[in-house]
Formats: sequence, structure tokens, C-alpha cells
Amino acid sequence: MPVWIVEQHRSPQVVLTAVMHSGAWLDAPGKSGTATMTAEMLDAGTRTRDALTLSESVEFLGASLTFRGGLDGAVGTLLTLSRHLGEGIALFADALTGPVFPPDQMERLRRQRLTMLMQQRDRPAAVATTALMRRIYPADHPYGIDPSGTESTVAGLVREDILRFYETHYGPHDATLIVVGDVTPEAVLPMLEDALGSWRGSPAAARGPLPPVEGAKPGVYLIDRPGAPQSEIRIGAPALPRRTDDFFPATVLNRVLGGQFSSRINMNLRERRGYTYGAHSSFVFLKEPGPFLVSGAFAAPTTREAIEELLAEVGAVYRSGITAEELAFSRRGLIGAFALSFETPFQIAAALQALPLYGLPDDYYEGLLEAIEGVTLEDVADVAARVLDPSGMSVVAAGDANVVRPGLAALGRGEVTMLDTAGEPVRG
Amino acid sequence: MPGLRDVPYTQYALANGLTVILTEERSSPVAAVMVMYHAGSKNEIPGRTGLAHLFEHLMFKGSLHVGDGEHFRLLQEIGASVNATTSEDRTNYFEAVPSHELELALYLESDRMGFLPGALDQSKLDNQRDVVRNERRQSYDNVPYGTAYEKTSRAVYGATHPYGWPVIGWMDDLAAATLEDAKGFFGRYYAPGNACLVVAGDFDRRLVGEWIEKYFGAISAGPAVPRLALRPPPLADDATLIFEEPVQLPRLYLTWPASPRGTRGEALMDLFTTILTSGKSSRLYRPLVFEEQIAQSVSAYADGKEIAGTVSIEATARPGTGLGLIEERIRNVLDDMLTNGVTEREIASAFNGKEAQLAAQRTTMLAVAGGLATAFTLRGDTAAFNRELERFSGVSPDEITAEARKVFSGPRVALNIVPAGGRSLAASPRKSRPTGGNNAA
Repeated sequence: MPVWIVEQHRSPQVVLTAVMHSGAWLDAPGKSGTATMTAEMLDAGTRTRDALTLSESVEFLGASLTFRGGLDGAVGTLLTLSRHLGEGIALFADALTGPVFPPDQMERLRRQRLTMLMQQRDRPAAVATTALMRRIYPADHPYGIDPSGTESTVAGLVREDILRFYETHYGPHDATLIVVGDVTPEAVLPMLEDALGSWRGSPAAARGPLPPVEGAKPGVYLIDRPGAPQSEIRIGAPALPRRTDDFFPATVLNRVLGGQFSSRINMNLRERRGYTYGAHSSFVFLKEPGPFLVSGAFAAPTTREAIEELLAEVGAVYRSGITAEELAFSRRGLIGAFALSFETPFQIAAALQALPLYGLPDDYYEGLLEAIEGVTLEDVADVAARVLDPSGMSVVAAGDANVVRPGLAALGRGEVTMLDTAGEPVRG
Repeated sequence: MPGLRDVPYTQYALANGLTVILTEERSSPVAAVMVMYHAGSKNEIPGRTGLAHLFEHLMFKGSLHVGDGEHFRLLQEIGASVNATTSEDRTNYFEAVPSHELELALYLESDRMGFLPGALDQSKLDNQRDVVRNERRQSYDNVPYGTAYEKTSRAVYGATHPYGWPVIGWMDDLAAATLEDAKGFFGRYYAPGNACLVVAGDFDRRLVGEWIEKYFGAISAGPAVPRLALRPPPLADDATLIFEEPVQLPRLYLTWPASPRGTRGEALMDLFTTILTSGKSSRLYRPLVFEEQIAQSVSAYADGKEIAGTVSIEATARPGTGLGLIEERIRNVLDDMLTNGVTEREIASAFNGKEAQLAAQRTTMLAVAGGLATAFTLRGDTAAFNRELERFSGVSPDEITAEARKVFSGPRVALNIVPAGGRSLAASPRKSRPTGGNNAA
């Protein structure tokens, strides 16, 4: 199990993370929520400590210990002051290597998660995003389902699913440890060896490729939220994986299009028209092509205009790329922001996580500035032409159907399909 | 005990009254610049609420030598992170820049401190008014329980207390704001003598001193701004409100008047509320969420502001559970703690959490700048930043319990937010009848 150490002695803080590939992409069909539930259950009881004891021990140190699953991986994080590091590592290791998944804790977390998913129905931003992801990926593709699962898949999980997931996908073969802050290798390596050196886990399991991301047809979708003063809008389509050669051109492009306050999208929709508090776009780079996503919340009566403007902005870059001035602006900004993004142990640890997760080279950050400076207008125009075709994108609105439906129908992008808050077509 | 290292700083004032605070940290090529004006929503008048925050937006629309949108554009071109926040007590403007770009940040802040009103016009006001209305919708009106805090504040403080209206303002007042209101607010509160400028990070002390004098020295001193006096919530009796809203689960907000910011009392209640709800084994989380599982979540916190403070406990009920049962459980736990006290270990635990929190704050120059600016502006004592942990030190179970008894024996506001048709899920008032809410017949 590789260990990466970055010393920073300015403050007594230490961040220890374990990065693993055991994310929701490994959930079996119909069993969405397995990966994230497994991660959350690591601190729900071990061979030596029950959930309350573990929690109280962490609290007493003034530390924090969390395990979270996402789409591509899972991360365990310990945040502590250096003088408590030994005890903190012991607790971290206990949860990571010795969980017992008590049945009563499984039920407690299931109930909590089902309730959380039920509450999600009220949150227009979450509803809109979930619905878009559902619609732009083929049915049953893990990327189309929230890593937390759905109300029906979570209800159907059994303890055996969690046990099997842990036994198959957790182990030193799959983890990288990253330690940043007030530590030295001489001090911390023996602690880690002591706590984690005997962790075995099963040998690396064969992991099949994900299904293809193509196949979903673009459409226009509406989730009714009667009386809503704003519509949450999402527009997008599957775009690029993390390992793409276009990573830097796409990043430079997005900063111009919708990735900062002064972007084309935000200046148009917020500062010129006042339709919104903020609108933006992003590339979500995943192991397989993650989405290009445009989002914002718009005053209900402006919904149609907002969507048309957003599509127009995407279309303009799709057809014509960006200007030389914008290219220079974006490259310079990314380089400046890079200088600012390694200030805290947490930031440094977060930046390093991407490397083992996506198989990026160890010296990735040393080459970063050069890579940004090397992006040309042609590079940007190329990637735009490949992934920003607005006619291939779906549009989702979560808003008051009485107010916004006619406008959606008049977009000229086909029939409006009504969805429920889980992103599924409404029957009848 | 190895504690937090002091953050060294120097402080001085320009002739026009602007307080300057500088702290050097050369290990990262970052410089944070923050200007904090001692003006917030508490300086507004009923009928014109939301003006301080609306004005914050207008500060980004250009000044005499800086075009509309240029503040963001120039700073984002160099990769800076830029933002501003308005609270009841103060408004702060900040940017973290690569250290060799520091002069630009100082120039931009000086231009809008000294030369803004001439660049303000009706169309900018109208545009940002629209933006703020959307912010209100997005952050409060269109999210579940989004207006709970403003409803509670109104009930605790009353409609005419400076904390009785939300920072974002009431929608009607936003519509009524005029250009004269905006210019008047600037003239009254955006004076150098009512502000502090903090620079934290990688800079050359002499150069920065020269830039500050060059850019800020020429700004004329404005009117003196008196501090508002302490003014506790005028809550005389328990109040219960019930609102039916489009939510899935009932939620209860309990709020008690308590000590203002920076006091020992506030620190004691900060620790006490940590003991109540921080971590699975905490006094409220364990029975309500972990064991009995009648609540989906519970949180407690101390909210000490400059001229008054409160303590709150919030709990979201699980499906089918009434808020009356939740309130009863909370009362039982409080009664137990007030009678039998808390343990030394619980206090030590909460203290350790506070220490870790303050250590984390020191890892970023923006947060250090914020901490120094806040201590100066709201406590009138920059040195309080380095002494912060002392407020939480040497706390005995008796002392913390005595403070809690004082707080929880006073009147409280109970705000119930229940699903449509779910009035029966509300906690019924203990002494008085419901005094507010959307009492649908």
C-alpha cells in the first residue's frame, strides 16, 4: 500500500486520507447504494469498538473521521492535530480494516438514508441534477444513478450485499494513503505500519468495464413544483473522462464559457439580464465520460429565455470556439489559481487524491503549468466541436409547470416529458 | 500544553482613520486582502431592509477608475478567488491573490472605498436588485425550511430590533430601495474610519505600507459612526409559531436569548451546544437520532452577535413522529444536564474540538485575515484573535451548567414547520396559545 507524505509545519494540523476505487461504479444493477452504504458503515462498529465508542473517541481528540463513497471511488479521511496523530491513526485503521457491519446499524443507516432520499424530493437543485443524470445516461448505467441509490434500491439492500462488497473491493491492494501536514516520515511511517501493516483483504478482484455511455436520446423534461418562484435548470450530455488528452483544453474552455463569475454564461444570465443569482457550466471528469453540465436557478417567468440563452452560449462556443483574448485570460487565471490551491493540508491532500484514483503520473503537478500554457485556440475549438453540440443535450427544468411548461414546449426541441422527483417519467 | 501559535501582526491607522492590520506568512505565495466595513443589516431601518447586502452587490459594479465588472474580471484574470459577505453586523470584501499581484488588489479596494457613488446609476441598481431577488428565491424562498431563520429572528427580536429582519431583506423592501438610499448608505457607513484593511500572507512589509498610503491615504475621512449599544432580545414570554409548508418532514426550531459575541457566556454555551449535538454519542444525538431514531437530525449552536445573542436547538422529525415528542425528549435531556451537570470529559472533548477548529482557521490566509478583521471590528480588540482559545479554557462543570441554567430557564421561541395538512404534528405550546404562523382555518 503506497504512502505519500507531504510535510507542512505551519500549523499543527494533519490530514490522513485513504483513497480507494471502491465507488458506486461497482454497484450491481438494482443494488445502487451498496458502495456508499459500505463506506458509511465502516465506522458503525468494529471488532473492538462499537459505533458510539468509536465516535466518542474521535470527538475527544477534537478530530474528525469520515468515510464517503462517490461514483469512482471511496475516501476515508482523518483530520486531527499532530499531537493526537497516534490515537487518530489507531481509530482510522480500526474502522478501515476491522468493520463488522452490525445488523442494527445497517437498519439505522438504511432508515436514515431512506428519509434523506425522501427529503431530497423537496430540494429543487438536487431533483434537477438527479433527473438530468438519469436522462443522459442509458438506463442502469451507474453514472445515471445517484451514488446514494434510490428509495427502492436502498430498501432492497441486505447486509450480505455490504459484506460482500467490503470483502471484494476493500484491501491494501486498492488503497493509497496520503498524509499531509505537521508530520515527518520518520514519525508517521512506523505508526501506519503498526496500524495498517497487517491489513490483508482479498486479492484484487476482476472489475469489468462500465457499459458504454452512449445511447440515451436527448429530450426536454419537466418536474412540476407547483408555486415555485424559480426554476432549477440543468442542460447537458456525457462528455469526457478524466484521462482524456483534452483535459486542459476543456478546462481552459470551461473557464470562459461558464466556470467563473466573469464567464460568458454568468455575465449574460446574471449581470446583463438579472435572471439569476448565478449560472455556470462544468465538465465532470470521471473514469468514463462524465457529463458536461450547465446549471442555474432562474426566476420562473424567465425560464424559457434563460434556457434559450444558455443553449445559445453553448452553441456559440460549439461553433466558433473562444477568442484569443479569452484564451489568454483563461490560461493566466488557471495558472494563478494553481498557485493558490495548495495552501492548506486539506487542499494538498485533495489535489493528490486524483492521482491514484485516475492513474495519473506522480509528477502530474510538475507538468501542469506547461500543459495549461500549451493549450491553443485550435485545441479548444476541437474539443468544443466534439463535446458541446447543443442539439445532443437534454434539458431538465424543475419548476412550476403552469408557468414554465408552455415555454419548454416552444423551445423547438420536441415534446416535454413530465418526470417525478426521482427522475422517472410520470405515468399517465 | 502545546497550543495554538500566536499570529503576529502589526496595526496602525492612517490619518483618515482607516485601521490597517498586517500579518506576514511567507511559506505560500498567497496574499489575502480583506476590507471589513462596520456596517450590516443592523444599521438598516424597517422599510428599507436588505440595503446593506444590496449595497455589497453594488460595490462590484465599478467605481471612478474601475469599470463595471472589472473588479471580478481583473482579479479572475490573475486566478484570484474573490467574494464578499454581509451579516447583521458587518460587510467584508476579500480576495486571495498570487502574492506578486497584491498591489492590484489594494488598488481595487481603495477605488471603491473612496470613489464609488459617482459610478452608481439606476440601471446598475435595478440589475442587482433583480440578482438579489433571485438570491432570495434560490437561498430562502425556494428551499425547504428556507425562511425558518428569518421567522424565528422576527419572533425572538421583534420587528423593530436591528436583528429582527433578515440580512437579505424582505422582498417588498428590496423593491422599494432607491439610488438615494444606496448613496446615503455609502456616505454614512463606508468611511475609512469605519473600516479596517487586513493584508495576510506573503508580502514585503515596506512595499505594502507604501502602497496602502498611496492608494488609501488620499481618501477623505467620513463621518464618525457610533457603535450600537447592546440590546438583548425583548422576548418576554414563550412564543409558538406553526407554519405549514411544502416539506416532507416536520422540523422544530427552539431559540432562547443568550449572551452576545465574544463573551465568556457565549463561549460556555458554544461548548454546551457541542456537548448537546456534536457526534453520535452526544447528549441529544444519541437518544433522538441514534437510539430511539425519532429524529432524522438534531443540531444545537450558540449564535452570539455583536449587540445580542441566542442559543438554538433544531430537530427534524422522522416520518410520522410529532414535534411534541421531540420537544419533550429535548426538555428531558436539558433537565437532566441542568440538574446533574456535564462531565469533565465532555468539556475536554468540546474544548479539543474548538482548538482544532481554530487551528484549521490558521491554515488559510483568508481565514486569518477574517479572524483579525472580525476581532477588531466586532470586539474592538484585534488581540482577542490570539486569545480566543482562552475564552473556552478553564471551564468547570459548575460554571457551564450555571450558564446553561440561566439560558434555558428563560422564555423561548418554538417555530414548527410541518407538511401541508400536518398541524397536528406541531409541538403544542406549553403556556401560551400559538401566537403566529399561517393559521389556515
